[in-house]
Amino acid sequence: MHEMSLMGGVFEVIEQTISQHEVKRVLQVKLKVGELTNAEPDALQMVFEAFCKDTICEGAELIVERVPVRGRCRTCQLEFTVPTMFFLCPNCQNTSIEVIQGEELLLESLEVE
Amino acid sequence: MESNRREIEVMANLLSSNDIQAEVNRAHFRKNNCLAINVLGSPGAGKTSLLEKTLPLLIVDMHVGVIEGDIFTSKDADRIAAHEVPVIQINTGGGCHLDSKMVSKVLPEFNWQATDLMIIENVGNLVCPADFDLGEAFKVIVLSIVEGDDKPAKYPVIFRNAKAVVLNKMDLEALTDVNMENMKQDILAINPDIQIFEVSCRNGNGLQAWISWLSQEVTTYQENNG
Repeated sequence: MHEMSLMGGVFEVIEQTISQHEVKRVLQVKLKVGELTNAEPDALQMVFEAFCKDTICEGAELIVERVPVRGRCRTCQLEFTVPTMFFLCPNCQNTSIEVIQGEELLLESLEVE
Repeated sequence: MESNRREIEVMANLLSSNDIQAEVNRAHFRKNNCLAINVLGSPGAGKTSLLEKTLPLLIVDMHVGVIEGDIFTSKDADRIAAHEVPVIQINTGGGCHLDSKMVSKVLPEFNWQATDLMIIENVGNLVCPADFDLGEAFKVIVLSIVEGDDKPAKYPVIFRNAKAVVLNKMDLEALTDVNMENMKQDILAINPDIQIFEVSCRNGNGLQAWISWLSQEVTTYQENNG
């Protein structure tokens, strides 16, 4: 379950961010997770709670926004959503598709007090 | 009391510490003119068997090193060492994937004056290792056909990010219901540029094409790296 490692990354970013701000408590953590990653939202929720215990984040809410995969056709430049992970341009049937969205593993924002 | 509730915009990559170290590893391989590959696949797909069949033919023409990732044992490293190839075992101690820091720690163990190809065999898993760059030039998947022709569609991330897939255990095709055409069609729909090799590590069929391709990749890398 590599969500443990990813959550290590989340907390590295949180610690770095709050060291630059005056923060008593973290209330909410927002992540953006692309569909073209293997990070599983339920597993992230579970390890988030474990990581939060006895920290400034205890009781915080985790919001995981899944980001759909979007591609750009290298031939006709059409941008489209790739719903099934099968990369085929709906306009010209080309299979050479550049991924322009869906590979994100980002901490978007923190709500703090 | 007035609430000081507010939002802080961050937009930071969760894998940045892994990705930074991966770039350091990649620069190390490039400086030493060594092609590094990350070999991925389920437990039992035949990753170590493929290396055992590949190494004796590769070491005729080049120097190869192997990093073996395993949760607890050194069984795979022992199998590779029997072929007189330098091999270092990384035990993740329960971890489901290798990361770039684990790899960087063992790099000083190798003789970099004499390594053309570094093969990193990841922990057996089709999910987690896909998200962790180790600094390799490319990924190779080993998938045994007995795992089922639906596996590429069920684990698309790993197939999207690989340069080649070795379909192993072809000698068992007649004993299974696997539909090879469906399997290959799905792989190419996810990644049209991927190289597909059909092999049997048991009877040796198909291995020559895979080994020739890999040797050529080493040559091309070293020429371009100049």
